[in-house]
Amino acid sequence: MNKKLLDYTLKIRLPITIFVIISTFAITYYVSRPERDGIGYEPQQPIKFSHRLHAGQMGIDCKYCHTEVTKSRHAGVPSASTCVNCHSVARRDKEEIIKLFYYYETNQPIPWKRIHKVPDYTYFNHSIHVNSGIECVSCHGHVERMEIVSQIESFTMGSCLNCHREPHKKVANFVVGSKKGPDNCYACHR
Amino acid sequence: MKNNDNSQQVTRHWISVDDFENNPKVIEKKKKEFVEGVTDEFNISTLSLLSRRKFLALVSASAAFAATACTDYKDKGEIIAYNKKPEDVTIGKANFYASTYNDGSGILVKTREGRPIKIDGNPEHPINQGKVPNYVQSAILDLYNPERIKAPQINFNGTLIETQWEIADKEIIEQLNNAVKQNKEIAILSHPIISPTTNKLINEFIAKFPTIRLYTYNLFDDIARQNAWQKCYGTDFNNSIQWDKPKMIIALEADILGTENNAIENIRLFTKRRDIENPKDFNKLYAIEGNFTLTGANADVRIRMNPIYQLGFVLGLINEVLKDNPAIDYWFDIKEKVKNYNLTDLANTYNIPVQKINNLIKDLKNNRGSSFFYAGVSLPEETQIAVNLLNEIIGGTKFYKTDDVNITFTRYSNSIELKSLMVRMQNNQVGAVIHFDTNPVYHISPEYEYAKSIDKVPLKISLTVNENETSKLCKYILPINHSLESWNDFQLRSSYISLQQPVISPLYNTRQKEAILLNWIKPQESEKIFELYHKYLKSRWENEVYPQTAQEVDFQKFWYASLHDGFIKMNSQRIEKPAFNREALKLINITSKTDNFTLQLCDNLSIKDGRYSNNGWLQELPDPITNITWDNYASISPNSARSLGLKNNDVIKVSNDNSSIELPVLIQPGMADSLICVKLGYGRTVAGTIGSNNGTNANVLINSKGLSKFLYNDISIEKTGKVNKLASTQEHHALDDEFVKDKHLERGIIKEGTLKQYIGEPDFLRKGEHHSYLGPDGMPLSITKDFEYPEVKWAMAVDLNKCVGCGLCITACNVENNVPVVGKDQVTRGREMQWIRIDRYYTGTPEDPIASVQPILCQHCDNAPCENVCPVVATTHSPDGLNQMIYNRCVGTRYCANNCPYKVRRFNFYDYRDFFANGFYYKDSLKLAHNPEVTVRSRGVMEKCTFCIQRIMEGRQEAKNEGKIFNGKDIKTACQEACPADAIVFGNLNDPESGVSKLRKHKLGYHILDMLNVRPNVTYIAKLRNTNSEDV
Repeated sequence: MNKKLLDYTLKIRLPITIFVIISTFAITYYVSRPERDGIGYEPQQPIKFSHRLHAGQMGIDCKYCHTEVTKSRHAGVPSASTCVNCHSVARRDKEEIIKLFYYYETNQPIPWKRIHKVPDYTYFNHSIHVNSGIECVSCHGHVERMEIVSQIESFTMGSCLNCHREPHKKVANFVVGSKKGPDNCYACHR
Repeated sequence: MKNNDNSQQVTRHWISVDDFENNPKVIEKKKKEFVEGVTDEFNISTLSLLSRRKFLALVSASAAFAATACTDYKDKGEIIAYNKKPEDVTIGKANFYASTYNDGSGILVKTREGRPIKIDGNPEHPINQGKVPNYVQSAILDLYNPERIKAPQINFNGTLIETQWEIADKEIIEQLNNAVKQNKEIAILSHPIISPTTNKLINEFIAKFPTIRLYTYNLFDDIARQNAWQKCYGTDFNNSIQWDKPKMIIALEADILGTENNAIENIRLFTKRRDIENPKDFNKLYAIEGNFTLTGANADVRIRMNPIYQLGFVLGLINEVLKDNPAIDYWFDIKEKVKNYNLTDLANTYNIPVQKINNLIKDLKNNRGSSFFYAGVSLPEETQIAVNLLNEIIGGTKFYKTDDVNITFTRYSNSIELKSLMVRMQNNQVGAVIHFDTNPVYHISPEYEYAKSIDKVPLKISLTVNENETSKLCKYILPINHSLESWNDFQLRSSYISLQQPVISPLYNTRQKEAILLNWIKPQESEKIFELYHKYLKSRWENEVYPQTAQEVDFQKFWYASLHDGFIKMNSQRIEKPAFNREALKLINITSKTDNFTLQLCDNLSIKDGRYSNNGWLQELPDPITNITWDNYASISPNSARSLGLKNNDVIKVSNDNSSIELPVLIQPGMADSLICVKLGYGRTVAGTIGSNNGTNANVLINSKGLSKFLYNDISIEKTGKVNKLASTQEHHALDDEFVKDKHLERGIIKEGTLKQYIGEPDFLRKGEHHSYLGPDGMPLSITKDFEYPEVKWAMAVDLNKCVGCGLCITACNVENNVPVVGKDQVTRGREMQWIRIDRYYTGTPEDPIASVQPILCQHCDNAPCENVCPVVATTHSPDGLNQMIYNRCVGTRYCANNCPYKVRRFNFYDYRDFFANGFYYKDSLKLAHNPEVTVRSRGVMEKCTFCIQRIMEGRQEAKNEGKIFNGKDIKTACQEACPADAIVFGNLNDPESGVSKLRKHKLGYHILDMLNVRPNVTYIAKLRNTNSEDV
């Protein structure tokens, strides 16, 4: 009786279990891949700032607010005072602007949710990319068409290297003759 | 090394007495990758059932499933933007501010997003010219020290209760007024004041409370030298010394390149005359000393001599110098006085090589008028007087600077003043005592019974950054600002005043110590106090300093320009040195040979008088000669150790009159016999988590009966039978010299020659050199294809003629690269994490060796043996010649460390910030100290020197942003920037004009272990000793 049970377990139950586990793993792995890479991540922001309105309809240049993007490693999330430049006059009565002034006047920083993130051990430099003529769109998608910003591209090492190795295939307006991006480790890791 | 014949003899370099005697244990040790015990904890069977591996297996299995089944996005946290961004801040870019540290060093502070992360010297500053001592480099840790006192405290019978500034101020002012009314003394204990504005303020404070008396002291004072100078010249000793001028320097028990004041400046000036491009200009350094100091290690000739014989020696020299010069009638009386002092007799009695002394006399005669004698602080007054006289006779006095003198605002209180203070305290005549950032309970000799005396004082106040032995006994503990949070000005020399400005606003509820006094003079509203001293300083500058400078701009412009530069130049008057008073030299019986021991108390290069004890980087900085960390010890010569039957680490009891201490022995080759040296500054009991209970407090041995404050005769030593293991980095990373010898290769790790040899035959080093790894075509043999370096190729050169081994590069690297502190226990296991180390080798006999120092860091080999053994490709080669180490890829096999011939790779056996002192270095405030451009490494990864890749990348990206071609001209590594001798040169090898290319081709350039064909990129320039060939 015991032997029969063992036989059944080994020949039928075990393979089925293993098959189910592996196939579940494989399917969920592929289905959830973009999610794990953060593609489609669209968190609610403390103030419902619309890039579609500001960057799209009104055509304000990205660099007007993200001032550091050409100078530094970080693009720079604008300080509340940048918003107040215009909103000290414009739309003072709107709910979101009242929120903005609450933060501004109580001297609290606005806790913007981070959408795009490279790991801590990776040192991405915005200025070097932007100054080489790579458009923001290449990595961030068409932010000027987004009401709520979400992540479009994956930010894995694979996607960085794809572009660094074959920039002419990936970057719009790539100037023929320009150099490729470096693909040695110390270019990003230190 | 023999000079006359060119037979290539392999000089034997050794690292300890055991090594010299070929102790089989040491030979065994050197063959191993790590010292014994490094991997002890990894015996799986002794671990609990839930071992790390099992636990990891379980966790990773469940994590894998959890991750695949995960239905939500990972939260990526928040971006906290500025509310109103300061104008001069660009996020991700560093700002630099010129300021001054509390010791007067001009500094340049690098801040990121408003927080200081690195301190370097202000390159324009007249004294330190871009370089600062170890404790200033490491001050970042002190600023963010989580154990700083965060609010004023009142001590109720040992219980500390936080209070408000207003309450404390009110109570204190009331009691101060009472003390004045009762005509009771108010004592202020301070270190010497070097700030003109603080000095003015103290005088105003005294005017307000007329019973105040100011006492100043330092643990490492130069009272003996000052007193001697007073007797010889009738003035204070305030001359700085032009170390670059004399052709011959004779340092008598003076560690001019290590622990003496202004060592940074001394090193710079001294090594100016060690330029291999100008070999005829080399100076010559004699060190005559009992202890083995950094100066002794760098000396061309070192004569070991017990410091108590120095007086007889100096008098003998005077006799010798006067003997052959009948023309010098001027000194006839002196000649008569010293005629009985004979150097040969002295040499024979005290077992000093006569040859060396004869050479010294010969050299003195050849360099008449260009020799300079300098006596160290530990030598007694009589010796100092004799040295002053000797300098007068040989014309050494012209090397004192007369147009730029040291400024002193306060004089040290002498022992009589301090004694009478104690008596008055005991007799209830002292109403209040204010500790002005001082810790006399720890510093002052137990003779004074300071702790007992202040018990009688009704009002005890301590103004301090951290709690200490004295603040524990005080009623009011008032926290003060750190140097980087303060305003002030400092004047060390008459030719300039430097300014201190805050680079961060106070982190805690602290006040500047001067503002506290100002507020007591005239109470202010608490909001105004933050600006109080700033305004005071500014108004003094407007009224007193600005008119002196005769500027054409208005004061505001002048002020901001001064702040920007960090200092202003002043016109200084020339002060001629008065004539020598020849009555000063009284003849004292020189100490005859004694079998009893002499005790010398020494300064140290890291924690100084103990005030930097709570700084892990400094505690873990190896002593440059002994390579011991975290402890002090009794250094003793091999002979004396043998006669007492002592081994390393044996604990001995050193007693002196009524005091005694117990501490471990370290057998130090090259020490004078019958001498014991102990470093002060250790053994603090109330210094925080890191600083307390390291080593032994040797301050208790200080008393007034000694030959000087730091030198004591007739010391008794007892063996206790206990053992206390010292944490040394000495033998852990020994380079395998046996291997070199076995292969019969002529190229050693240390290559030295004499100056004469070099002048006679510039390529003596390369003569007869053949490379076994070269193929028939003269190209190195290799089984792999060579890398190509199309644009830039990084390389470094270290000039061993300039490197003195001070260890500043180690500290600078620690700060720049977020190197963790591991603790004494881990150092004992050979797990220190410093990326650059300074190896010290001895040549000759253990009794009287020659020491050589050599900084070793990752050599970034072209043919790196670490790269091809990494199973996960975590260490690879970059197109600009760097050996890259990628932490996030590393799985910790340690194969690379095993295969590295230089032993420069460091493994994180733990997450050291978490492991050490219960996560001390993970506390919130200390996170601010990290360099944001360098990854903070975690447990289980390998790390090593990166040639400061973050600086290289910054330079490259900046050049690209500006559209320039990057040639690497302006890139400086952290160690290079900190080196006071400019011994380190870094640059682009593809640029034939760069300094490093030239040094690499230099005839004195060599690579260590290059017979392995690893093709290292750090070139060492062989040291030339300016010796007579007989001396070697």
